[in-house]
Amino acid sequence: MAEKNAASAASTLLKHINTPAAQTWNYLHINDISLEVPTPTTKGEVLARLPRLFDAVETGIGEEAASWIVSATGDSRYVEVKAGVRREEPIVVDIDAATGDIRDTGVLVREGAEATIVVAVHGKASEAGTSASLLRIVAERDALVHLVEIVALGSGQHLEGVGIEAADNATIDVRQYALGGDKVAMGICCSLTGRSARLTQETRYLVRGSEQLDVNHLVRQRGRDTRSELVTSGILADAAKKTMRETIDLIHGAKGATGNEIETVLVTGDDIVNKTLPTILCDEDDVAGNHGASIGSISADQLGYLADRGISTKEAEALFARAIFDDAAIHAPEALSRAAALKRAEEVLGGDIALDVAEGLGLSTDIEEQA
Amino acid sequence: MSETPDKKRSEVADVDRSLYDFVMPEEGYERYADGLTPDIVRAISAKKDEPEWMLEMRLKALDAFHEMRMADNWGPDVSALDMDHISTYVSPKTKQARNWDEVPEDIKTTFERLGIPEAERESLAGVGAQYDSEIVYHNMREEVAEQGVIYSTIEDALHDPKWEPIVHQYFGTLIPMRDHKFAALHYAVWSGGSFVYVPEGVSLSYPLQSYFRLNASGAGQFEHTLIVVEPGADLHFIEGCSAPKYYEANLHAGAVELFVKDHARLRYSTIENWSKNMFNLNTKRATVGADAKMEWVSGSFGSHVSYLYPTTILAGARSRCEFTGITFAGATQDLDTGCKVVLNAPDTTASVDTKSISKDGGVNTFRSSVVVGRKADRARATVSCSSLMLDDISRSDTIPAMDVRNATASVGHEATIGRISDDTVLYLMSRGCSEAEARTMVVNGFANPVSKELPLEYAVEMNNLIKLEMEGAIG
Repeated sequence: MAEKNAASAASTLLKHINTPAAQTWNYLHINDISLEVPTPTTKGEVLARLPRLFDAVETGIGEEAASWIVSATGDSRYVEVKAGVRREEPIVVDIDAATGDIRDTGVLVREGAEATIVVAVHGKASEAGTSASLLRIVAERDALVHLVEIVALGSGQHLEGVGIEAADNATIDVRQYALGGDKVAMGICCSLTGRSARLTQETRYLVRGSEQLDVNHLVRQRGRDTRSELVTSGILADAAKKTMRETIDLIHGAKGATGNEIETVLVTGDDIVNKTLPTILCDEDDVAGNHGASIGSISADQLGYLADRGISTKEAEALFARAIFDDAAIHAPEALSRAAALKRAEEVLGGDIALDVAEGLGLSTDIEEQA
Repeated sequence: MSETPDKKRSEVADVDRSLYDFVMPEEGYERYADGLTPDIVRAISAKKDEPEWMLEMRLKALDAFHEMRMADNWGPDVSALDMDHISTYVSPKTKQARNWDEVPEDIKTTFERLGIPEAERESLAGVGAQYDSEIVYHNMREEVAEQGVIYSTIEDALHDPKWEPIVHQYFGTLIPMRDHKFAALHYAVWSGGSFVYVPEGVSLSYPLQSYFRLNASGAGQFEHTLIVVEPGADLHFIEGCSAPKYYEANLHAGAVELFVKDHARLRYSTIENWSKNMFNLNTKRATVGADAKMEWVSGSFGSHVSYLYPTTILAGARSRCEFTGITFAGATQDLDTGCKVVLNAPDTTASVDTKSISKDGGVNTFRSSVVVGRKADRARATVSCSSLMLDDISRSDTIPAMDVRNATASVGHEATIGRISDDTVLYLMSRGCSEAEARTMVVNGFANPVSKELPLEYAVEMNNLIKLEMEGAIG
């Protein structure tokens, strides 16, 4: 696997990233995001590419961005987990922003197998640096897939594309943490193709300063009795911008399918921009789709309660932020992703609190050592 | 209650399909050539003897219409709409009347069948009736006129030196002509509609109603409604519309501009039952002053394709908006409806509650946007949309967008899509209802939050429309 980034200094504009399945008024500027990325160079190299079956896997970031990642990366990486095998060692996609890593990964989890996949994005990019990851997963019948994505950039721009195809009774468990990055686009599409396939997805984010987070969640429910549960919560601070698109697509034939999505946004900054597009598409009658969203700040009553106990507004907001890092560190299944979360906690919350988070988990207090 | 074949037939027979779907001959009518040219626009303007500024506006709008493009990434397909085969002006040979006896017999019969004169006698403060491109009847109760309320056509207001400056001041300011392609079309060829002015502090006990009937085949209706409710005033305005069904496409591209001043209240109710060959590309917008309230009640049952999103701009502090809507999409219908709310001042509140029902292959799309601006401290908004699927060949999508730019605002949204549960049907059947009756009861209950907001006679009309649409399910 070639690890180097095959992109050049020239740039290309990707016009339609994270485009949702159903769009709305263009003047709202919520239908997609554009990003300028390094133009891939052609070097005449023969590079390893994924098996063709991955071409059919739809990703959340869209074809334009996915094609760019494939052409900008070196060798693609293919991992297969054999039928019935419970793979103990996580499959790790390591993205270091400092070296502008761009990765294309395909994972085939065979029938009845179990695998944990980790995408850890960390480091500080060089000026105008771009990193990217494209991860496509095929989960066969009865497979169990745990996916943990931790995007914890100190700076720079990152594209994170995920596509999952789930067959009969396959269970997909996703945890996404967006903890930092100047401009981050995360798009995930999960196709619950098989009967009784399941997706549970929890996304947490902290967007602060002038950071921009753009998310596209798409669940295609094709199979009968499929289930999806998408829970998103996060904090918008300072002058941060966040766009969240969530789509549950209940496709004709998916009888008995249910899809639920819920988003809670805590707003603490005076100059934030929060855009939310929660969509349910329904082409079948014997289904149930639900969505709930709540956007607001900590109420005066809650702040009053906390103030009575000696906790100021700033401290209360910091507690909410810390909770996100705690959660990320707890659920990071291996050292690299855990270190990425703790390192970012150190940058955002300060060294003392980051050490406290580490100690709370019974980890070494040397964050660098975690890696 | 046991069901017999006879009873089943009688339920269906209760619905008079001919209520809306009848055609009157067009003999002797003035009909402009199909298509859209500067000459046609000038002819419409000349016929109305308009001020120069209005003709200039029309011609600019025509240029805008030809320049502008439809968005290609969302909304139902309107490619079947060919403006080269639409006449933008069709007028019966009659003058506007203030007495139904002065209205030509065929037109009078049309409105009598629609129940308009009866409703006027019983429960309305005034009525305007538009037939194709022109208002054929306009009247208002004396006691309402004595309060200083103006209810006339826009054309009449433009010819009155007292009201022409008011029309000039407001017309086209809330919905800019370049808002979208069909707004531009509207301003190029608008004809008919209503001008309502409610003076400061005046409260109307009864609603005003305008009814729009498009009888002509292959034609468009482009009425403009302009309502100014001065500070502290209160008005309920009802809008109804229908058309017979043709195979040729018909077009409705009206515009509604509502100015609700400080401390005023306006309720705008619509029961729309266009025929299923109609492209209903209508634009409605309200601006609301401090401590004022805008209420929308919207029932959409007809048309082949609809793009309909009444917009409310909460411009004044503590202003409020309530939107209650129901959309029923049956066979051949693709209805893209919803609303937009802009909260742009402190302590503003918006509440949106919508229902949609899809059956027989009908497509419903609920689309909304709630935008909370930076000035909207402590603004609150809730959006609730529920969709009912009555079969597996229909479709229902909900696409609500929220854009929040104020940290002290609170926005909530909930949406549900599902079908009538078997348990509910079984429960009702165990108490003597047939399955069809049970389903109709559930649908009526689902629609109840909207129908209860309407005056009784319109609630009955809406329930009849639901019953009509449910006929297939009943049978």
